[in-house]
Amino acid sequence: MAEVQLRGVSKSFGGLEVIKGIDLTVASGEFCVFVGPSGCGKSTLLRMIAGLEEVTDGEIRIGGRDVTDAEPSARGIAMVFQNYALYPHLTVAQNIGFGLSLARMPKAEIEAKVRAAADTLQLTHLLDRKPKALSGGQRQRVAIGRAIVRDPKVFLFDEPLSNLDASLRAEMRLEIADLHGRLDATMIYVTHDQVEAMTMADQIVVLNGGRIEQAGTPMELYRRPDTPFVAGFLGSPRMNLFNGDAARAMGTGVYGIRPEHVLLSPDRGRWQGRVRHVERLGADAIIYLDVPQLGELVARTGGDTTLGPGAQVWATPQDGAEHRFGG
Amino acid sequence: MTAMSARRPRRRPTKWRPIVTGALAMAVAFVVFVVPFLFIALQAVKNRRDASRLNFAWPSEWQAWQNFRDVISERNYMLLLAYFNSTVITVGAVALLIVLAAMVGYVLQRRRSRLNGIVMALVLAGLMIPPAVVPTIWVLQGLGLFKTIHGMILIQVAYGLSFSVLLYRAFIATIPKELDEAAIIDGAKPLQVFFRVILPLLRPVTVTLIVVQSIAIFNDFTNPLYYLPGRENVTVQLTLYNFQSQFSSQMNLLFMNVLLVTIPPLIVFIFFNRQIVAGMTAGAVKG
Repeated sequence: MAEVQLRGVSKSFGGLEVIKGIDLTVASGEFCVFVGPSGCGKSTLLRMIAGLEEVTDGEIRIGGRDVTDAEPSARGIAMVFQNYALYPHLTVAQNIGFGLSLARMPKAEIEAKVRAAADTLQLTHLLDRKPKALSGGQRQRVAIGRAIVRDPKVFLFDEPLSNLDASLRAEMRLEIADLHGRLDATMIYVTHDQVEAMTMADQIVVLNGGRIEQAGTPMELYRRPDTPFVAGFLGSPRMNLFNGDAARAMGTGVYGIRPEHVLLSPDRGRWQGRVRHVERLGADAIIYLDVPQLGELVARTGGDTTLGPGAQVWATPQDGAEHRFGG
Repeated sequence: MTAMSARRPRRRPTKWRPIVTGALAMAVAFVVFVVPFLFIALQAVKNRRDASRLNFAWPSEWQAWQNFRDVISERNYMLLLAYFNSTVITVGAVALLIVLAAMVGYVLQRRRSRLNGIVMALVLAGLMIPPAVVPTIWVLQGLGLFKTIHGMILIQVAYGLSFSVLLYRAFIATIPKELDEAAIIDGAKPLQVFFRVILPLLRPVTVTLIVVQSIAIFNDFTNPLYYLPGRENVTVQLTLYNFQSQFSSQMNLLFMNVLLVTIPPLIVFIFFNRQIVAGMTAGAVKG
């Protein structure tokens, strides 16, 4: 367990600055998720913590120790890659024990540690197989096993679930969350999937253009986004955001309201609109409205709604759920 | 074109066409590759008089064993010494080639630097510019390597390096960089990353290079002729001179010698030929 601190960390490739002075503290034992659109620098930031990318400026401390210029293996970290990065010519057992054998640990000790890690991840029956004989989920577990066996202070995950199909992803999400509970280690997790971020994180760090847009607990970010970017990034379907004349009419720069906070009524409300399209998801339905004053407005309502395309409805924002940015 | 005419079935090739073209190809291959080999084998078992006629006539007298013993014992068992020398050169040169080319290919592929372009230009120059013999001999003399086996090994390494580097570089491009990074995080030093993670994954290319280069080096005639003169430095291909001179030639022994010299590369080729193709195309198409 260790705290990870970034102080004024920045990174340039040639003249291009991709990480622009980041200050962040990940508390000991915390599950922190870096989230953001592609190209926002989240993976680069993770790789800098891992020591795979040099830090142009600033300082990285892990467990109070300055590791800015330390070798990756000397930082007390372990990393799980998006494409698993298993050694194809080694068996599962050799893959998990690779780091230990490099450290010239006695064979019996390596075997015991590999077995313990395999037990944790239900890999024991696969130890003699080569990676190519494993399924995607099993490969990912081997990659996690390789991380566990090093007994790191900090686990780093670089989009570990994006190569898996949807149901397996949900399963692995739970497994990683369980693992975090059991190991009680600090974990930093990079993803572009806001569902992963919302469901797993103690702290979400939203990155945009190499800067931290906002950091906080998932519900904090959901309820009180600081910027339209964060507001639009978290939540599905995304928040309705209006700027220009529509927002000015409501006395703000950017006006936002989440679809689940738009109340629909057949006869009264703030905005009148026409239903353009209805998406039924089962438990609830997503209604796309054309509202003359605003443009398109998305609302979430119960799955048993009788509304159909062409229907005229009134929409009203729920009290206290409106967001005003830069007003 | 109307829809009707597009739907009309196209004329299918008749059944016998593939058989005829196949037979034709077999016949050509037989004439080009097998007939010369049979010719060699036939001359090798004839006596001296029959062989000197250089025809396909049946031998009047079979003396395969006699010819074999004569070839081996010629000039105080020179052929055995030649086998030893050739083997040392081949094994030494191929081993060095594999390690050096894989390392150069690895660094060229993985480390992006301004020197890459220059190094690649040099590698390509090695393929394109024919080696000049006399200056090479000057260099060898200056280094004290002329007429030495290890000098010959270095020459073969230099000649084979460009091709091998290109092959390795293309293949390494298909190995994800995350493997290197995973190994680095596991605590591997650069040499350990190379020898314990990368080199084992290069096996298909390595097998190809071992076969292609060892056959080329073992069969090399001209380079040992230029750079490795001297009776005790003889290589197998140079033993062919033993039976050919201005005034008399022993064709039966010459062909027996050819046969004996051909056998080792043939065996290597037969055993590895499938893997050669696998390695040659590896890296050509990504994924």
